[in-house]
Amino acid sequence: MVAYIVYLQQIPELLHKWSSSYDVYVPTRVEEHFYEFRPWQEKTHIAWDYDLAYSPLKVFFMPPREDLIHFDLHNYTASPVIKKTRQLLFGVHPYDIKAINQLDQLMGMDGVDVNYQNLRDNTVIFGLEPARVAETAFWAGVDAARVDFGFDLFWTRISPGAFLVRVGSAQGEEMLKMGSSITSATAAEKEAARRIHLRAAARADKQGLGFTWTQVPEFMNKFYSRKLYWREKAKTCLSCGSCNLVCPTCYCFDIQDETDDHLKQGKRYRQWDGCMLEGFSRIAGGLNFRPNPWERYRHRYMRKGKYIFDRIGELGCVGCGRCVKACTAKIANPKVVFSEIREAIKNEA
Amino acid sequence: MKPDFSPYVPRPATLVAKNTLSEYVTLFEFAQDSGKTLAHRPGQFIQVSIYGVGEAPFSVSSPPQSDHHHFELAVRRTGSVTNALHNLQTGSKVGIRGPYGSYFPMQKFVGQDLLFAAGGLGYIPIRSVLYYMLRHREEYGDIILLVGTRHPRERIFTDQLEEISRRSDVHVLETVDVPDESWQGNVGVITTLFPKIRINPENTNVAMIGPPVMYRFVIDECAKLGIPQERIYVSLERRMKCGLGKCGHCQINGINCCTDGPVFCYTKIANLPEAF
Amino acid sequence: MAVKPKVAFFDFAGCEGDQLQVANLEERLLDILAHIEVVSFREIKTEHSDDYDIAFVEGSITRPEDEKRLKEIRENAGILVALGACATIGGINCLKNFINESEYRSTVYGSSARWYSTYASRPLSAVVPVDMDIHGCPIDKNEFATAVKELLLGKIYTPPDYPVCAECKMAGNICRYEQGQLCLGIVTRAGCKACCVTEGSFCWGCRGMAPEANLDAAARIMEDHGFTRLNAQDRLRLYFGCTDRAFNPG
Repeated sequence: MVAYIVYLQQIPELLHKWSSSYDVYVPTRVEEHFYEFRPWQEKTHIAWDYDLAYSPLKVFFMPPREDLIHFDLHNYTASPVIKKTRQLLFGVHPYDIKAINQLDQLMGMDGVDVNYQNLRDNTVIFGLEPARVAETAFWAGVDAARVDFGFDLFWTRISPGAFLVRVGSAQGEEMLKMGSSITSATAAEKEAARRIHLRAAARADKQGLGFTWTQVPEFMNKFYSRKLYWREKAKTCLSCGSCNLVCPTCYCFDIQDETDDHLKQGKRYRQWDGCMLEGFSRIAGGLNFRPNPWERYRHRYMRKGKYIFDRIGELGCVGCGRCVKACTAKIANPKVVFSEIREAIKNEA
Repeated sequence: MKPDFSPYVPRPATLVAKNTLSEYVTLFEFAQDSGKTLAHRPGQFIQVSIYGVGEAPFSVSSPPQSDHHHFELAVRRTGSVTNALHNLQTGSKVGIRGPYGSYFPMQKFVGQDLLFAAGGLGYIPIRSVLYYMLRHREEYGDIILLVGTRHPRERIFTDQLEEISRRSDVHVLETVDVPDESWQGNVGVITTLFPKIRINPENTNVAMIGPPVMYRFVIDECAKLGIPQERIYVSLERRMKCGLGKCGHCQINGINCCTDGPVFCYTKIANLPEAF
Repeated sequence: MAVKPKVAFFDFAGCEGDQLQVANLEERLLDILAHIEVVSFREIKTEHSDDYDIAFVEGSITRPEDEKRLKEIRENAGILVALGACATIGGINCLKNFINESEYRSTVYGSSARWYSTYASRPLSAVVPVDMDIHGCPIDKNEFATAVKELLLGKIYTPPDYPVCAECKMAGNICRYEQGQLCLGIVTRAGCKACCVTEGSFCWGCRGMAPEANLDAAARIMEDHGFTRLNAQDRLRLYFGCTDRAFNPG
């Protein structure tokens, strides 16, 4: 493993250089207890110890609203709109990298999603070992405490003034070497980073699932038909879609048209959508395949716990805890759902 | 630099003919402006755009045409895109994407009998399969076509159905749920036609399309006739927005109707509670 | 477009703030006007005609004699559009529905109350069928422009049917409940792009209740966040006064 040491005071110089060719985003504190990735500027205070970015990082690859084509109403021509903004996300936690890796895979299946792909291909990701675990997070329990790929560099703060930086790609290494006098890490420093990871993972483990995640798909499958359970869980569901929209692995969207005021040209755009919203599964003529909140609620957990697993062999949940936070009714919580179902099945056996 | 490609960009097509099929349903004949054939297979769908109004999925109703760039859609006036389609004059343009999705396995049907069960607008995509088989009539065995409609005034393609029913090599049976004074034929849901047909279960495939409530009942009838599940094919309707397996609207449990379907062998969906 | 559709604007009880929003489109309005012919619009012109295809009607119905005029408009118009909260949901005028009639009559009209007729405020849809709603207090001028353009293309604009929360997430807003504030976004119909929250306030509910709003859940959420029934009731009555599902005063 190639690794370097970067001192805190070397970082501004690097950020300067990077920001000349990339839109650089870093974690910042936007309000007490709330963090977001925001554009880096000279005076930006980087929240190295952030616990969770409030918004999911999919916003960088699949913005809430994104033009797909431009069209002309008169000659009926259309042309693609594909953004290729060069972006650097600096300070991404492993669970969020895992979510991006999962999106990469899903958006590449059955034909590539070119809009996603182009933004993704132009984005550099620098990972960061989490210093704190969000209260609602359980990523250690769903195999998201570490990632082996999906980053160009991975940063671990091994002392108040120094980071050990693992190289994930040639591009990452090149960008790192733009700094003056960046030195290779010693074996002792690598060991220090490893210990810090283990300590972080141990802290996170206390908020894990309490059982191995690989059992989840089977439990979910068994519990699908337990209407009583799903009905009870979804009783206070607002059908507001907050859990979908803050989920870093949810990617559903709606497609709509908008014309200019001359009614001559227009654009077709996609906008975030979610399976918890009432009209999501409605077809022409009004028939709705999931008319009840509990059916939509169940579908969401089946996707997270089973359907995505069936497709790519991992859960559709990375344990970030965003939905737990975002749900005002406090019913969105994959950890609780998975655990309750496991408990119920165990008691029946 | 290579120009950007996007699967979301429709191709222009021109409306060449419009024929009223019933109060709400119209048959639209389009020609691709490229002059190329649509290259669809029976059962596939396309996305049709009316710019500014939106895009909606439709099953192609005409059979594949290797020598012809025209194709037909039969559309019920039910939402904004279908309304806008009905308001189009011939010569107007639309955008199309696709064809998308799975199709009926025409090669597997070669040398075998086919039983069609079409409920209501389900006849629209069935027509693509049926006409394909009629064009290659000698390659297939017996063809039975069951058509169920709610009310006589909602029947579509009546002239064509009459023409087909006069053929000796196709057995056509029709029924309506609610008759009127003019109706002379069978009355009842589509399953009431089953006692009137004879099939060879060893050699018969089934293609059925209709409203969701229809499937279970017709599948039960097929089981009674001894037709194995792996020779039953259904097409399911969902709201495909992207057609590319991404947008999520057409999910049926863990599968996507747009890329895994819309045509399914029954064994593939028999265990999906959300299928019907 | 061969023939330009004729458009008329009307108002009942309301502040005319929605028509003002239309006028606020400024130069955009000129582009849109190229596709329509405005035959009646008090806010911007003096002439009037009863020959129109599309009627935009602002304001709520608050007097029995309003009904006759609204029915005439309905009769004349091919498409009737309710413009703004007063027209779509009865609006803020419905506050009076929680007070007894003699009280609001004497409060508003004093000693000459008996010369004026007035009754409980209601939306247009309580009197005539409405083809299209443009919600909000005031309406969002961009949404108005979108709705008009869609009408011109032969489409009836349908506002979102989900709660404002979804749009808050798209806007990247921090939830008001996480900040300890009372917010009606959890039960209010979206379509405003969560503008009030985005601008630092909370959702007032001006677009009316989302069709599938879960009020029982909302009651519990408000309670769990430490708000009293009275807090919630005050907020809900502002715009939800005419929805029969609104909380009963407890």
